[in-house]
Amino acid sequence: MKRLLQILLLTTIIFANDQIPGSIQKHPILLKGGILHTISGDVLRGYDLLFANGKIIRIDEEIIPSPETEVIDIYNTHVTPGFIVPVSQLGLVEIGQVKQSRDFAEIGKFNPNVRANVSYNPDSEIIPVTRSNGILLANVAPSSGRISGQSSLMMLDGWTWKDATMLHPTALHINWPNMRIRTGKKVKEKEKVQKEKIQKEIQALDDWVRNVKAYEQRISVHLLKSDEKQIPDIRLASMIPFINGEKPIFIRANEIRQIKSAIRWGNKHHLDIVIVGGRDAWRASELLVKFDVPVILQNVLSTPMRRFEPIHLPYEMPKILSDAGVQFCIAPKTGYPHNGNIRNLPYEAAMAVRHGLPKEEGLRAITLSAAEILGVADKIGSLEPGKDATFFLSNRNPLEITSSVSKAFIQGREIDLGDRQKSLYEKYKEKYRQLGKLEQ
Amino acid sequence: MIQVLISLLILISGFLFAQIEPVSDLHSNPSRVWALTNGMVHNEPGRFLKKATIILRDGKIMSLGRYIKIPEDAYEIDLEGAHVYAGFIESWLEVKKTQKDKVAQEHWNGKIRSEYQVLDDFKPDDTLLKSLHALGFTNAHIVPESGIFRGQSALVSLEKSPVSFNASVSQVLNFEYSGWSGKEYPYSLLGAIALMRQTFYDAKWYEEAQEKWNTYPEENEPIKANLSLASLAKSRQAKKPFTFMTRDEHYSLRALKILNEFNLNPWLLGNGFEYRRLKEITEMKPFIIHPLDFPAQPKVLDPNRALQYSTEQLKHWDLAKDNITRLNETGIHVAFSTHGLKKKPEFRQNLQSIIDRGLHEDKALASLTTIPAEKMGLENSLGKISPGFTANLVIVDGEYFDPKSRVVSLWIRGNEHKIAPRYLHNFKGKWSVSLNDSTFTLDFSILKGKGGKPEKLKGIFSSKAHSEKLIQMDIFESNISFSLNGVPFGFDGIVTIKGDLKKDQLSGILLDASGKNFDWQASRKKEKAPKPRKKDKASVLALAYPEGAYGFTTDPEKPNAILIDDATIWTSGPDGILEEYDILIENGIIKKMAPDIRVPKGSAWIINGLGKHITPGLIDAHNHSAAASINEGAQSVTAEVRMSDVLDGDDIALFRELAGGLTTANILHGSANPIGGQNAVIKLRWGKAPDELIFSDAPQGIKFALGENVKQANWEGSRYPQTRMGVEQVIRDAFLAAVAYKERQVNYEKNARLQRVKIPPRYDLEMEALLEILEGKRLVHCHSYRQDEIMMLIEIADEFGFTIATFQHVLEGYKIAEKIRDHGAGASTFTDWWAYKFEVYDAIPHNATLMAKNGVNVSVNSDSDELARRMNLEATKAIKYGNLSEEEALKLVTINPAQQLKIDKWVGSLEEGKDADFVVWDGPPLSVFTQCEQTWIDGTLYYSLEMAKAMEARDQALRSSLIQKILSTSSKVDGKLSVPNGEKHQGHFDCSVSDEVRFLEVNE
Repeated sequence: MKRLLQILLLTTIIFANDQIPGSIQKHPILLKGGILHTISGDVLRGYDLLFANGKIIRIDEEIIPSPETEVIDIYNTHVTPGFIVPVSQLGLVEIGQVKQSRDFAEIGKFNPNVRANVSYNPDSEIIPVTRSNGILLANVAPSSGRISGQSSLMMLDGWTWKDATMLHPTALHINWPNMRIRTGKKVKEKEKVQKEKIQKEIQALDDWVRNVKAYEQRISVHLLKSDEKQIPDIRLASMIPFINGEKPIFIRANEIRQIKSAIRWGNKHHLDIVIVGGRDAWRASELLVKFDVPVILQNVLSTPMRRFEPIHLPYEMPKILSDAGVQFCIAPKTGYPHNGNIRNLPYEAAMAVRHGLPKEEGLRAITLSAAEILGVADKIGSLEPGKDATFFLSNRNPLEITSSVSKAFIQGREIDLGDRQKSLYEKYKEKYRQLGKLEQ
Repeated sequence: MIQVLISLLILISGFLFAQIEPVSDLHSNPSRVWALTNGMVHNEPGRFLKKATIILRDGKIMSLGRYIKIPEDAYEIDLEGAHVYAGFIESWLEVKKTQKDKVAQEHWNGKIRSEYQVLDDFKPDDTLLKSLHALGFTNAHIVPESGIFRGQSALVSLEKSPVSFNASVSQVLNFEYSGWSGKEYPYSLLGAIALMRQTFYDAKWYEEAQEKWNTYPEENEPIKANLSLASLAKSRQAKKPFTFMTRDEHYSLRALKILNEFNLNPWLLGNGFEYRRLKEITEMKPFIIHPLDFPAQPKVLDPNRALQYSTEQLKHWDLAKDNITRLNETGIHVAFSTHGLKKKPEFRQNLQSIIDRGLHEDKALASLTTIPAEKMGLENSLGKISPGFTANLVIVDGEYFDPKSRVVSLWIRGNEHKIAPRYLHNFKGKWSVSLNDSTFTLDFSILKGKGGKPEKLKGIFSSKAHSEKLIQMDIFESNISFSLNGVPFGFDGIVTIKGDLKKDQLSGILLDASGKNFDWQASRKKEKAPKPRKKDKASVLALAYPEGAYGFTTDPEKPNAILIDDATIWTSGPDGILEEYDILIENGIIKKMAPDIRVPKGSAWIINGLGKHITPGLIDAHNHSAAASINEGAQSVTAEVRMSDVLDGDDIALFRELAGGLTTANILHGSANPIGGQNAVIKLRWGKAPDELIFSDAPQGIKFALGENVKQANWEGSRYPQTRMGVEQVIRDAFLAAVAYKERQVNYEKNARLQRVKIPPRYDLEMEALLEILEGKRLVHCHSYRQDEIMMLIEIADEFGFTIATFQHVLEGYKIAEKIRDHGAGASTFTDWWAYKFEVYDAIPHNATLMAKNGVNVSVNSDSDELARRMNLEATKAIKYGNLSEEEALKLVTINPAQQLKIDKWVGSLEEGKDADFVVWDGPPLSVFTQCEQTWIDGTLYYSLEMAKAMEARDQALRSSLIQKILSTSSKVDGKLSVPNGEKHQGHFDCSVSDEVRFLEVNE
């Protein structure tokens, strides 16, 4: 009976289907004696961290708590800034194969105006599963057509998408045209025609830039007669901050010719561009450094693009980029069927560490580096006084698969670490207990 | 038989045959007795007669010799300076099927048309004849152009009304399939091969059945007539060749496997890649018809674009033209074809190229004449200039193997076909012109036609002081007319000049604007001797196994003895984890394991185990690497298809997986249908031929699948079943059919009277495979997700009395672990994939642990070329989710999958007597920070870090030297792009990938 009660209690917490968003931090909390992965500085062993009102107040060897401070002893526990996913479709899709649950791809080729955060479902079951592994922030992005739309940086906690939005827009997303010249039996188009088509695609993007600038110029003049006034154009208007360089443009480009062409394009129009994907980025590292173009590197855990490339090349890429001085962060793959496994982001970084990237740089690639590229490095990405209290506690180095997250905070709010999978696990453990077959 | 008779008749009656037709106007009876004199006669390969005479009489060669008497009734044709060859045979000419042949007695499958005779459709048009005649072809081996069993090829003369020399040369087969968009079985290479095999059995059965029916009509029901099967049986009886069309060396091996299985006379349409598996391909001594179609020059000018080419594509460009020579060297007979050449004239340039590279001219001539003639049964009639042979001759104004010389005429069955003027009126060059008491220079040069336009002549007329371009120009035979501005040369206005060419002299008149005439003469100025032609050279590149990257150029290391010294040994066996332990390996087997083993110095390969961890080679119970074809989805039951038919050991995935410590993989059919195909358990023996990958001791298995994929929930489809209810019925129905099949068979086999009088039961490969399941001889590996469907299959298995070997993926296995355990099935799961489709919404990463803790034998699988490179880390997730011990976690990728595949007697753990399949790790194998340093299979070192690095450097150097060579070669000859070697999909999973991915170039 007592046992049943325990289970009932457990299930009421865990079976709240969606986890309950954390409440605002009411009193200061002092984490005592942990291993602090500050990212911006050294790893501090046996240090204290004090946070209040959602912000980190102080990090020191010994902090004396005030009376209202809650003290949590975290000896030998790792504290790491919340991992940041720089591109994903989290909350925009529940089940990839179910059309009804897909909200990341608007119809048409040019959708610069669509905003990701308005279709972010804060009750998605994928969100709690993802943050269970220390991922506390995700930039969610539309992904279709040539110009896909605007991404939003979401905190993985909140009652509504508005609560969860940390920053919008973070970037405008463009899929760079495929620049391969196809050859072979089945290809009907002549090489010349193919080249012209590619040029046309890039030309179309040039035209968008010009049209946005012309549009901006016209609406900035206020003295026009009413019949000369510019009629609103939702697409052009939405692109202004990205074209005048206030906000970055994230360009998906993997193959070398795409990357080079995207950089040239960005440079020509004085845009602040970021390469997303970047499978060939190492072949363009000089150019990336020269024009100061960061890379959101996907596909670390993947096979090389080409048979003749080094067999571990994707694993070694972060190290290669780091040595070349390219600014980069690591992202998981996006789209079907990867959405459910964004949680494996730390293992992408771990593989990079296995192949030469220093351990703390591995952590940086999924925390502070991502924050820098997303333009929020002043708020998140490291453990520093004044920054958001967005971090998690784990029993081992969080890059190790065997580590587990024991507590997590987003802006000081303690996060419910339960999720759909843990609930099902508990439910079926109980089945085997009832059958008398599982000792636990 | 009748066909053969007719063709024989045609042959005997020769020209008389035409007289069967009524005469429409008057009788035409030309003489047809000719004496061709003074030619250089290449009467057969390796022999020639200078200034010889050939006497032709009524379509036959009567005699040949240097000093023979010319019959009085013969008309003499002087061939001074010309070379004469026996008519060439084009050995592969595909002919479009024009007639609709929907007949009641045809095979159920539209791609099986063995009864079809291509001869019925051969009506060559002038363009075709012209292009082949220009190359010297007087005969052609014509073949049907579509189908799997395409029908029968024939040997014909290349005339407007062709005459058949052999109406049924061979049965032609092609690995043809429709892909996922198709309407009919087979969709895939897997299915095409299975259908070939079943059809050969069917043909045999049909023959027996016919015989029984004819002998005992009262005892049997009549069987449905099937022309295809009847014709196949006949071809086999007559020991007719069976010609398989191949696309690369893997197809050659696949074809030879079937040819061997059914003991058929082996012919192949070659592909140019045979050199890559020369030993295996030439073993059966097949006759190979080799198109002289070579790869296009890769476009590597832009280094970024060069990346589009895989290294073996570049290498094949260098090696392809040596293929024929290499085949010849093994004693294989090769015949030539223009098949695949967009521009037929390139045939001769390519021929010159391969001769440059070392093919002897006699061999080349034999490939055009005697070899195909002999193979096609006409060694006494075609291919040589010899008395009694058909009067088929090629007259060339020089040596045929010099592409500059021209075929001027062909004799086909004693009738001359003029191809080109015997002498060319050559205006090109510099001429010294005397005109009006002055000397001028006339310079004609040839302007190359752009974009397929013909060549044009242009000219310049000049005196010492001036030069003028010719404005208009016209040439007709030996006459030339042109106009130019005459003023600078002292003439009035624009002048027109006419001339007539006689060898090296031109003469004619000039007419100026005022109407004045002037005579002129010109003689050809001596030209400098042209530069000697740069000869093509044979490739000097060493072959690698496999080609592409990371291939072995020498056999991998296999020491007689290996000593692993002082390492941490994760045995995955009863001994658990052993610290500071030694292993001695001899001849690929683990000989001894002990704390301290000593061997005489230098007698063993020593692996210093200090700080190293040794585990058994990892095993993946669900993998699709090394498969050229994965799904045969055209039918809901395809138990007859076999992954072993489509193995491709050149898949780079294998090497990358070795680099992650994987040594054994269960290569499964996809999940497109409830009962899929037969699996192949392989060891990752990199560089070996496909059959050598197979784990020969492993029991046979088969793939089943349930749920969304088989009911086509996530894509268009209307195949039965569309629900889980239907899936159950399909499986049940299949087994009921198999039981009934067995009963019929047993009944027949034990009753002598039945055997004597009754038509035997048809041998059915699909039923045979299903029966093996029921008899416990074939392991079922079932793709499944939801608990309901898992329970359903357990129920069916229990009912039919067999045990499911593994549930694959089994993502809801945690919900019914006790049911799986009680049934005795294993569970092979993904670790953490979920939420990509509806049926995996309840998947949890604790699945493996929860099942394991409830007594199920659990493994984790990859189903992906990428995950298969880090199976150790997939195992680690079982520690994270559900807290399995490290030792037990490693077993998820070692002994457990070995037990599931019933290969644990040999692999899966480190124990004395087992295969020496092991991995050397630089730290604890379950840590993300650990790397695989060496991977050994059967005591052979297939991967090590250093080895991979060295290979990488070697291949990069090879690549840049090939690009250098390509950049330094100018080539006008076109060609096809070669197929990249195993450039496949990026890690797929859930096995719903389609075929053909192999043919994609680099992934985007």
